[in-house]
Amino acid sequence: MNEIIVENLTRDYGGGKGIFDLSFQVGSGEVFGFLGPNGAGKTTTIRHLMGFIRPKAGKCTIHGLDCWTKSSRIQKNLGYIPGELGFFEDMTGTEFLDFTVKYRGLSGENRRKELLGRFELNPKGKIKKMSKGMKQKLGIVAAFLHDPEILILDEPTSGLDPLMQSRFVQLLGEEKSRGKTILLSSHIFEEVERTCTRIGIIRQGRLVAVDSVEALRERHLRTYQVTLPTEESARAFARDFGGSCQGRQVTVSARQSLEDIFMHYYGGGENG
Amino acid sequence: MVNGTLYRREMKGSLKLLLFFAAIITMYVSIIISMYDPEMMATLDSFSQAMPELMAAVGMTPGASTLLGFMISYLYGFILLVFPMVYAILRGNGLIAKHVDRGSMVTLVAAPVKRRTVAFTQMLVLVSGIFLLVAYATCLEYTIAEISFPGELELQELLAINGGLLALQLALGGICFLASCIFSDTKYSLGLGAGLPALMFILQMLANAGEKAEAAKYFTLFTLYDPNGILEGSESALLGIGILAVLALVLYLAGIFVFTKKDLHI
Repeated sequence: MNEIIVENLTRDYGGGKGIFDLSFQVGSGEVFGFLGPNGAGKTTTIRHLMGFIRPKAGKCTIHGLDCWTKSSRIQKNLGYIPGELGFFEDMTGTEFLDFTVKYRGLSGENRRKELLGRFELNPKGKIKKMSKGMKQKLGIVAAFLHDPEILILDEPTSGLDPLMQSRFVQLLGEEKSRGKTILLSSHIFEEVERTCTRIGIIRQGRLVAVDSVEALRERHLRTYQVTLPTEESARAFARDFGGSCQGRQVTVSARQSLEDIFMHYYGGGENG
Repeated sequence: MVNGTLYRREMKGSLKLLLFFAAIITMYVSIIISMYDPEMMATLDSFSQAMPELMAAVGMTPGASTLLGFMISYLYGFILLVFPMVYAILRGNGLIAKHVDRGSMVTLVAAPVKRRTVAFTQMLVLVSGIFLLVAYATCLEYTIAEISFPGELELQELLAINGGLLALQLALGGICFLASCIFSDTKYSLGLGAGLPALMFILQMLANAGEKAEAAKYFTLFTLYDPNGILEGSESALLGIGILAVLALVLYLAGIFVFTKKDLHI
């Protein structure tokens, strides 16, 4: 079953900005990577999913509920890390988490302690005085607090150091194995490659490719046949480059990294 | 309809500003009431004779013979009009538009809380603050009057003119709240939310000051509040209060409606 459905979603901001006739689905328990450069329309799409803006054309649903009209019901089971964090700057991190728990009407158990430990965050200080990384950690803790079934993460690792980034990827892996549906928007290839099963690449508000990580790579697989002077050197070449050898002929294939694939969709054109 | 957690947080956030304006009101009210004294009245009247336009502009008209009449002349022309209004402007802007502008609205709407609830709660915070200021002023006026001039001030009359004042301040607050709901940028929210009430107050001063500028009174809400008229029980004064109360209701409902339907680019 598809948990997140985006159908012909359109929002034209003029001057080529916006999203145009965007359609994709995220299956239940799937981790979907939403890849694209700045200004491609990732956040605009997410704002529609969050019910912040009303679709001009098309529609989107989460768990069968309309994202605009049923937003507050969807939010009950949704965790969100905004691309631009918005806290009450006058609060301390602790006050903010207390507020979030009560404001959401959470009762009893929540994951606060575990998450704070995982990201080594001490939330006692004023949010105003926190570094970008600390704020990001606080945003992550607040989003996962109520153990939601659906996660919408807009560039969730920005500002985190590599160690914390990998802890976050680890957390996503665990959530994935617990059957959570995740939409991860990013421009970091490694992050997407390590966590996502399927990827949608967006450019200038249009989806240019949607496929599994494997299929995307397959499609960009290039095979070469080379002939070497001796059978001996052919065998050595096949061994070194992981090809298959038939006499003096060796077949090798080059797998592009996701980054190269990404550049393939963006290279040459004007900036998205 | 109301989110208790948000209400408590925002009331706590209103506290400093409320205390500040309460302090200002305390100072003016106690000074002015203690100035009530037939001899001093003569001095003030002589001011009015010397510079009638200026005194009239700030609502200070001579000739009041009772304590309440004196208070209407010297408190209800400027101090009790302007200070609660400035509170409403600052707070009205802070309750919606500032959260949208600064991005903290994300926390409020990315939660299982309806937008209508968010807006209604914030409206209630604004209304509570205005109510507290006017209620505080009422208690203060009565207490000080009772201490300084026992038996001079009729509580019922005071309640009547302050009830009218509350309606006026709620209507002004409604303008600020609606502006805050319409605009996602504090620049514009403050522009309308502060600009319109301030402009209306200036028009009121103009209308008070001169006969030629009297037509200005048709463009300001302050005209609808006539404390002397309320005391006399004049129908037009009571009608004015009714209009202000209805206007306040309409403005708040419109604000909530606009906020529920608007696109939030946060």
